[in-house]
Amino acid sequence: MSGVALPRLCCEWLHGCSGCEVALLNGGDLFLGLLEQVDIVHFPLLMDHKCPDGPEGNPSLPRAEIGLVSGGVASKAQLEVLRTMRDRCRILVAFGTCASHGGIPALRNQWTTEQALSTVFHGDDCEYSSESESKGWLDRIYAIDEWVEVDLLLPGCPPRPETIVEVVAALAAGQQPQLTEKSVCEHCPTVRTGSGRMTVRRFLANADYEPEEPMDSMRCLFEQGLLCMGPVTVGGCGGREMPLCIRARVPCRGCYGPVRRQGNQLLDLLNILASKGIDHRAIVDRISLLRFSGAHGLLKPNIQG
Amino acid sequence: MNREPVIIAFCCNWCSYAAADLAGISRLQYPGSIRIIRVMCTGMVHPELVLKALNKGAAGVIIVGCHLGECHYIKGSEMALARAEIIADTLEDLGIAAERFQLVWVSSSEPERLVAAFREMSERLGIGRALGVKTPEAGQ
Repeated sequence: MSGVALPRLCCEWLHGCSGCEVALLNGGDLFLGLLEQVDIVHFPLLMDHKCPDGPEGNPSLPRAEIGLVSGGVASKAQLEVLRTMRDRCRILVAFGTCASHGGIPALRNQWTTEQALSTVFHGDDCEYSSESESKGWLDRIYAIDEWVEVDLLLPGCPPRPETIVEVVAALAAGQQPQLTEKSVCEHCPTVRTGSGRMTVRRFLANADYEPEEPMDSMRCLFEQGLLCMGPVTVGGCGGREMPLCIRARVPCRGCYGPVRRQGNQLLDLLNILASKGIDHRAIVDRISLLRFSGAHGLLKPNIQG
Repeated sequence: MNREPVIIAFCCNWCSYAAADLAGISRLQYPGSIRIIRVMCTGMVHPELVLKALNKGAAGVIIVGCHLGECHYIKGSEMALARAEIIADTLEDLGIAAERFQLVWVSSSEPERLVAAFREMSERLGIGRALGVKTPEAGQ
């Protein structure tokens, strides 16, 4: 270690799955290179660092220049951790889609917390049926920018390892990270003709393509009638190359969240179908188009149903 | 804070906004809860704008466009109709009362039809009564 103090990196996880942290580890040599650019002071998955409660019962986290928070906010305890992170970190990054847009856990925003708890932990023999524990839950899953100011969204489920390392390295060097603001379609090489099937096929249906032929001779999956989330999802999953799911010849699932920060993937996609004259009622379970971005009040419990 | 309920009306430049103009010239009364937003074509009203208005506290949203087949841009009304179906389905998904959204067709020579639609929406949402809007009999 040189004598110059490196920028400190502090990471916390909330209502997530630790996939984002694993993605960072998956950077391999890139991650090792990052260790020479930042000083990791707190990182739950990587190091066994204890954070005793502060004087007012708040979690006490070390000060840092760069803070990464993965996962959305589901409980009051997580909210306390998030607020402490905001207080302790100069730059706060929403790390992954859960932190940015709610992610998969926010799918449960279509039910109330009580409904979700009683469905999953039903009966008296479950730990979470006790009242004291259920009191700690918030009414729904929140993205972190609904509670605190966030300096940068780094979406992805998980984000691309190279992108995570690039972003942290750029922040450590005092630069503004460059993330794409264009949709998946902008990065997609498939052939678009402007007209396509007028019906929506099931996601399970296979795309039509010749396996030997390169990707840029395959017809656009959306035009093939597959419900590709590409038009309403921000790109970046494939880096400078083609999007990951498209590479596997399956439609985009939408895991990077909306193109615009407050966009609504469900409405935007239905809107595209409407303007092309395609019947949107052919979609099975359309509410799940918000599968990665149900926070920000986009998914709500249906009061009538 | 006790704010008056507001109904947002997206009116197309070519038909319904002209009808609203004519309603003004003809001194036809419509509820004060209506706030007209002029758009070039109702086909350009993104469903998100409607949802945003409702989420931000509008009591209702009404989209008023040209009759089908009379759109200045040929297919705008059809697009508005397709989008209205989406909006209706999304409102149902979100548990928002369907009566808070409506799509009506009004040509530029039908100010009475426009005023009737405004008044009906306002009454359906229980706004007209609460604010004591004049009924046609009392107002004229």
